[in-house]
Order: sequence, then structure tokens, then C-alpha cells
Amino acid sequence: MEKYNRRFFLKLSASGVGLFFVYMWNKLSLSHNELVKPKVLLFPFNRNKAVSFLKDFIVINKKGKATVLSAHCTHLGCSINKVENGKLVCPCHGSEFDMDGKAIKGPAYRSLEKIPARVNSEHTQIQIDV
Amino acid sequence: MSDMRNKHKDIQKTTYGTLGLALFSYVILSGILLAIPFDVKTPYSSISIMLVTNPWASFIRNLHFWSAQLFLVFSLIHLYDHFHYKEKIGFRKGMAFRLSLGVLIIFLAMLTGFLLKGDADSQQARQILQSLTERIPLIGKALAFSLLGKTGSYQLIYVHHIATFSIFISIIIIEHSRKFWPKAGDFILTFFVLLGLSWFFSAPLHDGMNPSVKGPWYFVGFQEILHWLSHPEWSLLLILLLLILIYIVNSGKDRAAFISKRSLLILTAFYFVLTLIGLFFRGENWQWIQPGNSNYTYSVLNNFKSESVNFNPDFTEETILNTPKILGRKESCLLCHNQVHGFMDAHKPEVIGCFSCHGGNPFATIKTQAHKNMIRIPGNMASAAQSCGTTRCHPDISQRLPSSLMSTLSGMISVDRFVFGEQKNPDLLTDVHHLGNSASDEHLKNLCVRCHLGNPKDNYGPVNEKSRGGGCLACHLNYSTKAKNNLSAHQNNLQDTSYLSTHPNLSLQITDNHCFGCHSRSGRISTNYEGWHETTLEAKQKPDSSTYRLIEDSRVFKKEPEDIHHKLGLECIDCHHSYELMGDRKHYAHEEDQQDVQCLDCHFNGKPLTTKAEDLDNESAVIASLRFGSITNKQFLTTHKHRHALINTYVKHDSAFLITKNSKKLFVLKAPAKICNDDKAHQNLSCSSCHSAWAPSCIGCHNAYDPNEPGYDMIKNRRKKGSWIEYTGRFDAKLPALGFKKTKHGNKIIPVIPGMVLTIDIASYTKQAHDSLLFRRLFAPTAPHTTSAKGRSCKSCHNNPVALGFGEGKLYYQVENGKGKWTFEPLFENNPHDSLPEDAWTGFLKNRKGMVSTRNNVFPFNVAEQKKILTVGTCLTCHKENSTVMKESLNHFSKLIKNRSPKCILPDWK
Repeated sequence: MEKYNRRFFLKLSASGVGLFFVYMWNKLSLSHNELVKPKVLLFPFNRNKAVSFLKDFIVINKKGKATVLSAHCTHLGCSINKVENGKLVCPCHGSEFDMDGKAIKGPAYRSLEKIPARVNSEHTQIQIDV
Repeated sequence: MSDMRNKHKDIQKTTYGTLGLALFSYVILSGILLAIPFDVKTPYSSISIMLVTNPWASFIRNLHFWSAQLFLVFSLIHLYDHFHYKEKIGFRKGMAFRLSLGVLIIFLAMLTGFLLKGDADSQQARQILQSLTERIPLIGKALAFSLLGKTGSYQLIYVHHIATFSIFISIIIIEHSRKFWPKAGDFILTFFVLLGLSWFFSAPLHDGMNPSVKGPWYFVGFQEILHWLSHPEWSLLLILLLLILIYIVNSGKDRAAFISKRSLLILTAFYFVLTLIGLFFRGENWQWIQPGNSNYTYSVLNNFKSESVNFNPDFTEETILNTPKILGRKESCLLCHNQVHGFMDAHKPEVIGCFSCHGGNPFATIKTQAHKNMIRIPGNMASAAQSCGTTRCHPDISQRLPSSLMSTLSGMISVDRFVFGEQKNPDLLTDVHHLGNSASDEHLKNLCVRCHLGNPKDNYGPVNEKSRGGGCLACHLNYSTKAKNNLSAHQNNLQDTSYLSTHPNLSLQITDNHCFGCHSRSGRISTNYEGWHETTLEAKQKPDSSTYRLIEDSRVFKKEPEDIHHKLGLECIDCHHSYELMGDRKHYAHEEDQQDVQCLDCHFNGKPLTTKAEDLDNESAVIASLRFGSITNKQFLTTHKHRHALINTYVKHDSAFLITKNSKKLFVLKAPAKICNDDKAHQNLSCSSCHSAWAPSCIGCHNAYDPNEPGYDMIKNRRKKGSWIEYTGRFDAKLPALGFKKTKHGNKIIPVIPGMVLTIDIASYTKQAHDSLLFRRLFAPTAPHTTSAKGRSCKSCHNNPVALGFGEGKLYYQVENGKGKWTFEPLFENNPHDSLPEDAWTGFLKNRKGMVSTRNNVFPFNVAEQKKILTVGTCLTCHKENSTVMKESLNHFSKLIKNRSPKCILPDWK
């Protein structure tokens, strides 16, 4: 009986309220994140440019056929913003990826995420489905 | 009473904790003031504005920074200090937990402060923090979003920095110390320390150009750990472990507390080492770099650059207001250099500022600090990656330029070593940056290797006939007349600084003059192209005639026929494209390998090889647009060899056109003459074999080393004692000799010149008795750049001893007793080393083997080929070149010979 006294129930209730707030916070932030996250992004497309860095994305263009990769390194998410000797290089820890996004030098070991995208028929715009 | 006094003394004692409290109060105070100029919507810009235009705001920011850094340091020391007294203090478990959590919160407050700079370092740190937080199980994503907010917005980070974490830290401090206010003594002491630090050392802000990105000093050790972890989420356990250890030390007893304390000490020592590695031995892309590396200052020390606050800057309010934002920030350079002009559009200061090219410190407002580590003459290869080649500008070009033959000088080095007998193969890939001290390398350093792009330009002034190297500047530097005059005025009177406002420009206006300095030597294609042949005359011997020209380095040239393309107004860059000149990332052994454009790319038969505008590579597309405006729907001719588009050509309605790049003259491109297509006998002749009007030839050169001769090291660019000396023989301008080049498509007849007909006194350098006098008779393939519209005559090859490689002399055909015989009487005496005439490549009706040319695949005609050529030459002794029979012979030679008249006596080769 000693174990389940009033203090115990108070603590239990307080923990319950705390957990409820954690639950609410989790729901609130995830829902808001979902709401404010862009779904579709449009960028000008340069057919002559083999590699374009668009903040969060890398557009690899091979003769008008575009592949969009996430610009965030799979190691820690740093933004990849340069090509060195034909390789995409992460400035934070030096991970390297080939032009298909495949990891070829660590610490990153996963390939860059491929993002669905479409180039319009005039080859002037690229639509990225985030 | 005495106890009371002691207790009072204890309370009044200055400790790391009380100093930390004083520092925290400065953090809060300066933070409140800093909120006035800080703009959370454009943090990077607003901080740069403080640094450049508002010294008081800059000072307050520094105060905020330094008080926070010292607060962190003192809090950690205080924490460790506490471990010794915890028995006396007796923490409750709840407080121990909150204090442990407080350590994490202090770090988060510091980190969010770092993120609020909004610069390149902060942006990457934010990504790391987000990525790590998101990997916390269950709540990671929500926690990351709650902490950092949506991408690109700093609002939530700001709220947490100024409210959430600051309030939490305040509560912890008050609960822990039972104090609200710091002691007056601590407050004053810390003030003076902060005053000094904040005045003389500004808080860091990334310049936006340097590719090295690092976290704050207390984070780089962690960054080093992350570098070694393919699964960085494991590092979160390390943080958890640390917090648990702190908790155990605070709340645990005896052995558990002792072990935790020791563990913390070991971990701290380990972390200290990692921090030193991260701070001093990691550069761009987190690559290992150590002091002494040429890039060390830029990659590592740049992180420590810290300008002092100038409370009395010499700028007017109007200048400050009119200064544009560059790359998202203000830069102080433009406050002084606000009237500079002369640039092409893309390089205007209001677009890229000064810092993008010249480096220095874009946030310093004191001249000496702003100019520290400044690149006085940007564009040189050594600093190209920090100026022209930065990620935002031309990184691709600066990366591939070192592979260009104009940077490596591979052919020149390999051939020289081959000639000196130091290398068996003249076609090996070499690099001017790897020269040693052998006889050949010394020869190269003394006499040859000034002309490489890595040779720095170290003086202001336009490119002239004496210019060598200079990286990007070698081709792209141009001075306007005003810029040139102002520079001259400054050179005459150092007080005249008007030159600072008339900046030279770096543009696509690449003229023949840019090529002249280097290409008027060796093969001399620049001077050949313009129709000037070098003589052995000294400057004072130059005849007073317009057919002679004295160039800036005192060499005298004589007029010869210019190249037909030059006559029409084409410049070097009208044929040669950017990938030929700046390299295409491949290493080539010789210039004919890297050289891409061939005559047939423009002068073609049938259907041309083309590239559509939309399929152009970006570089070609940008250059084409800059030069000619819209390129939409255009089709460009494309080279057959390396498949690069010629952006100053286009195909329209089955015709091909060329526009000169600088003067914009339009030409219809002509197909080769009918004879070139119909003639089956000469299909293996290169165009230049027939269409080269002349080529420079030099023979009889001797090389010896004189240890007392004042010399020069062209790599180190300094004078030295001792030098190789070249004693020249004869220079002649004449129709080139012909030879053949073995290719995978068969043998090709090409023009050749005496590339290395010389003697070398090796022993004069090595001082080794067994090193003998070397004699070489090597011819070299050449592209004379003396194209004539009309090809050379039949006789100029078939009846010409020079063309056949015998050298100058009398070559004649005689018929005696019904037998025909060719005879050659050389003009020059036989050289005692090989018993061939001085200017010969091969002997008359003799085979020559071994070292014959400066390539592995170029040879003189053998006896069988000489006979074939001379057999045709026999016919030409009677028949005119334009005669029907000779024209017919081009396709039916064997048949005509079979049915020849009895009067036609062919040579009897027996």
C-alpha cells in the first residue's frame, strides 16, 4: 500500500500530462513540417549545362536527359556544391560521389537520393517533385 | 563571529563559476543590444553590414561572441572544479540531472548562435545538426524541425537562442548558484578582458568564397569524429555517454563517480587532440593538410583571420549607403575602391566585388588588415583556385588548366630529355613542375621553360611581346588606353594613384598579341602566321626597311608570305577553341595531340559534322552567347578529332560560315579544291604538306654548359651562376621537308623541320669524362602556320632535295647510254658525326634508322619511297606540271608508265 500513495498518483498523472504534451508536440511539428514543405519546385533548365547546383538539388544533364539528385550528402546532410575532377565532392568531410550519385569515397557510403523530376517539352524548365 | 567571516569570505571568493556568471550577464546584455542591428531574415547580410559599416554594432557582436566563448570555457572548468567539491555541496539527483542537461543546453545555445551567422560555415553546420537530430529514434524528425524550423528560415533558431536556451540556462544558473547578479569585481574584471578581445579580434564570419568549411572551435573535434564514422548516428551515443558520465559524477558515489570523472578527463584530453587536428590540420573537403603546404594559409589559417574594430573609419555615409551587396553580403573593399571601372559586365565590382578575385579580408575596415594575404595579381595559376577558379566562378577551367600542354610543357621536356639521352621515349607524359637537376632539366630551366602558364605574372601592365605565362592573364588580360596611361603615370610618379581606378579587364578579347610572347619562339607559329621569319641579325644590324621588324625582345625578323588566314583577318582564336587552349582534362604528350582543329573541319566535302546549340557543352554555349548573342537553333561545325563545337561557325542552308571572334567578319567556308579530292595519288598527304608556304629551319646548333656564365632558373625565376648556352647556326625560311607519320589509319605525309640538329657537350655540365659530345639529327613534325591558298608545285616535292630530306643541293637527272640516273650534290659538307650533309634528314637513296625524329612515329622517306617520288620527278623533268599527262598520272600512273613512249627513260635504280 505504501508504494501506491498519493504522491505516486500525482507523479503518474504529471508524467501522463508530460507525455501528452510530447505527443502533441510531435504531432504539431510533424504536421506543420508536412504543410510548409514544398511539394513541387520549378527551376529554369539549362540544357547546355552538364551539372547545375540548385541549393538542395543537383541536376545532372546528359544530352537533355536530366537526373536530379539530392544535394545533401548522405553522410551528414551537408550541401554538395562543387564538382572536382568529374566527381561531386562534399565540402564537410570530403565524401565523393560519381555523376550518377553513387558514393565512391567515404565517409558517406549511401548513394545520393534520386529525386523524381521532369523537363518540359521546350527544355526550358525542370519540375522537381520533392 | 570568525566562522561567519570565513563563510562570508568563501561566498565572496572569485571562482570560475562566479566569472562564468559575470560572463553570462555580458552575453545577455550584449545579446539584447545585438538584436537591434541583427536581422533574422537576412542574418549573413546584416552581420556583414555591422562589420563593414557600423563599428559599434560590430563591437557589440564581438562582445557577445567573446563573452559566450569564455562563458562556455569557464562553465566547463567550473563543472570539473565542482567534481571535487560535490561531497561538500551535496547535489540532489534532480539538480544533478538539470545541471547535466544544462551542459547540453549551453552547447545548443552556442551552436544556435553559430548558426545565426547564416554564412557558409553555419549553413553546413545547420545541415549536420539537422541530419544528426533527425536520426534520433522516434522523435528525431519532430525534434529537428522544432529546433531548426523550415529550410532557409532562421526564426525558430533565433527564438531558441534568445529565449528557450537562454531562459533555461538562466534558471539553471540561479538554481545552482542561488545568485541573480554577479559580483562587481568579477563584472569589472571580465569587462576589461572582453573589451580588449572585442576591440582587437572580431567574431568570425565566412567570406562566402573560401571552400573550407568548419564548425565552431568546440565542434571541430566532433567534426573530426564524424569524419571517421560512416554511421554518424553512433556519435549521438557518445553525447549521451558524456551526459550520463556528468550525471554520475554529480550524483554518484565513490567508485562510480571516480571512474566517471577519470573517463571524462581522458575523453576531454582526447577531444582536445581531435580539436587541434580539426583546427590546424584539416583544410578544404576536410583533407589532411599541414603547415608548409602552399595552400595552408588559404585553407587553414584563413579560418583564424580576425579583423579589429575601426571606430573611426574614413568613409562617408553616402559611400556606405551606395555600396552594393556582393554575394549576399557587404564588403569593405568597395568603401575605398568605389570608383573603379574598366571591367567587362560579369566582372564588375558591383557584381563580384573585389574580394572574389583579390582575396584579402572583405570585412576589415583598416587598410593593412583588409589587404592582408591579398592576391595582388589574381589569375596566376598558383592562386587561380582562390580567384578565377572558385566554386562560384570558373572552377572547371581552373581544374583542367594544369593538364593543358601549355601548363605541362610535356612535349618540350620529353623531347629535350630524349635528345640528351636521359629518356628513351620522346612521347612520355612529363610536367614542368617536376624538373630535376639532370643535364637536360638544367638545360630546360636555363633556356626553355619560361613559357608555361604556371609562370607567374608579377608586375602590373598589359601583355606584350615579352610576356610569358601568367595563368588566366596570359590570354584574357587587356588594358584600355586609359588604364595603360594611368599605370605609366604611376610608374613615373608613385604618388599618382589614378591607375587604381582604371582597372584592366579580363575578357574574351583574346588577340594574336596574347599568343605572341610564347609562340614567337621554337616553332614560331605566331610570327610565321603573321609572315615574319626570325633572322640571326642583332637589333643594331636591322636594316632600315619595312621588310624587317624588331620585336620587343630585340630579335630581328624578315618579311615572308603571311598565312592566308591571317591575310583574311583571322586571329589565332578563330581556329583554336577553349578546350584546345585550356585543356580538356587529358594529358597530352605533344602539341599535335592536344591540338584539335584540322583544316577539314572547316574545309569539308559533303555533309559537315555539326552540333546543335542545345547540345553544346555549357562552356561553349556561354562563350558563343557572350560573343555572338542568341545561339538558339544554330548548328555549329564540330571537330572530327575530339568532337568539340567550333562556336564561331554555323551551318545554314547547306552552306557553312565562320565569323571571326573579335572583329566579327563573316566568311563562307570553302570546300577543298577539286584537285585535292580527285587526286588519288596524294590522299595520304596532310593539307599542310602541300599548303605550307614556308617553315623556319635552323641547323648547326651547339649546346654547352658554362659554369661561370650568368644564368637564369626559369622555374624559380631567379638569376644564378652557370648556364647552358646555345650557339646558333643558320636560320632559313624555306619550304618544309616532308616525312611520314605512322598512325592507326596508315601513314600520313607531313611537313617536318630540323627540330634538333645539334651537338651537346654533356661533359661540360656533368664533369664526367665518360660523358661524350652528343650529336643528334632529329627532325620534328611541324604545323608551320604559313598556309597558302595554292598548294606547292609538283616539282617542289618530287624534284626537291629539301622536301625529300636530303638537304639543300643540286638534285638532277641524267640519261647516259639509255640509262637514267638521279644524282644529288649537297650544298653543305658532310657532318663528321654521321657523314650526312649538315641540313639533311636522311641520305640520298639511303635508309635511316634509330633516333631520327623527336617522335616515335615520325620517319624520313626510306629508299623505296624516295625512288617512288623521284620516279614521278623523272617525268617532271620533261613534262610540265599542268600537262594532261601529268594530271592523268595522278590516278593512272602505273598504266601511263606501262604505255610510255620509248623517249621516256625511267631511272635505272641498279
